[in-house]
Amino acid sequence: MSLQVGNVRIGAGELAARLAQGFAGELTDVAVQEPDTVVARLAREKLKDVAARLHDLEETPVDSLTLISSVDYVTHYECVYHLYSYAANLYVELHVRVPRGDPTVETVSDVWPGADWHEREAWDMMGIVFKGHPDPRRILLKDDWIGHPLRKDYVDDVRNHPYV
Amino acid sequence: MALTDEVKRYLPDGIAARLKYPKLADFERPNVITTTADLVFNWARSHSVFPFQYGLACCAIEMLSSGFARFDIARYGMEVFRPTPRQCDLMIVAGTVNEKMAPVLLRLYEQMAEPKWVISMGACATSGGPFYDGYNVVNGVDKVVPVDVYIPGCPPRPEALFDGMLQLQRKIQQLTFARPEKVEPLYGADAPWHADAIGPQAQFGGRVSKKRLTP
Repeated sequence: MSLQVGNVRIGAGELAARLAQGFAGELTDVAVQEPDTVVARLAREKLKDVAARLHDLEETPVDSLTLISSVDYVTHYECVYHLYSYAANLYVELHVRVPRGDPTVETVSDVWPGADWHEREAWDMMGIVFKGHPDPRRILLKDDWIGHPLRKDYVDDVRNHPYV
Repeated sequence: MALTDEVKRYLPDGIAARLKYPKLADFERPNVITTTADLVFNWARSHSVFPFQYGLACCAIEMLSSGFARFDIARYGMEVFRPTPRQCDLMIVAGTVNEKMAPVLLRLYEQMAEPKWVISMGACATSGGPFYDGYNVVNGVDKVVPVDVYIPGCPPRPEALFDGMLQLQRKIQQLTFARPEKVEPLYGADAPWHADAIGPQAQFGGRVSKKRLTP
């Protein structure tokens, strides 16, 4: 396949239809949000399988991971995978719900290597555990930090601040 | 120092030999030897400060800007920025110090050779600045290392940095080899401001508890 960006000339509606058909029962609520973005919801048990198939999709492989966001909705967490297909020049957003009692997701760092540091950041800031991650350390805060500061129920611990 | 017979006539007995061959003990108390040596060493030290470029945030841009031709820090003999602490005697902390950076900063400070000075540049390094409430921000670099000069501003302009460095030059020129006549203890019951030394009546009308003043 040529490396030229956007050489597969399909619109976001066409890609949404292809994804809804190819991943029936897995991707739900498939919709076009922006002119160039397809949004879909996904159960976290199917994330690994869907990620690998999206990456190796026929004609329009979704071969780039731009960002992993993590959101605290108080009732639950959510991981948002911002993906990009070079061939179609279109973006895909996968929303994965994570329950509050068991904040674990399968890692996708073996599918998209760029996910490595994003998953470390999500663990550092939001406390979401990525099972199978090759290097599950904190990335921004120091290693012995207590708590995950972007959670809504975060309470700062005085042991985090030795210099006061 | 040329010690002619004319000069020797006005000097006290025995001082001429000591001026020619000063002993270590002659540097312990302020006298004519220490003042002259201080003058030479302080002139050399204050005009050959090697700053350690510790740029952490936007203050670093102003620090770099002060090094280039428009502002030209070389006018003050302080232009030799070094990327290693072992060649430096001035650490310019320019930017926000966070909890992860603080132990690194302390380690780099300890690697600098004596005598060494620290300039806290900008609001963040001085007090945490606009990020005072941040969960990962150290509220002032003086919590970690001793600071000689604070430069206000967010960020300070190069002129403000120069002013701070000139203040530091003045501070360096006050150094002396001589030991002070009396060393006052900073902490403990012998400190002059200790509650026991001041007495309860002298402390804010006697209403402040001992606990607050005792380190």
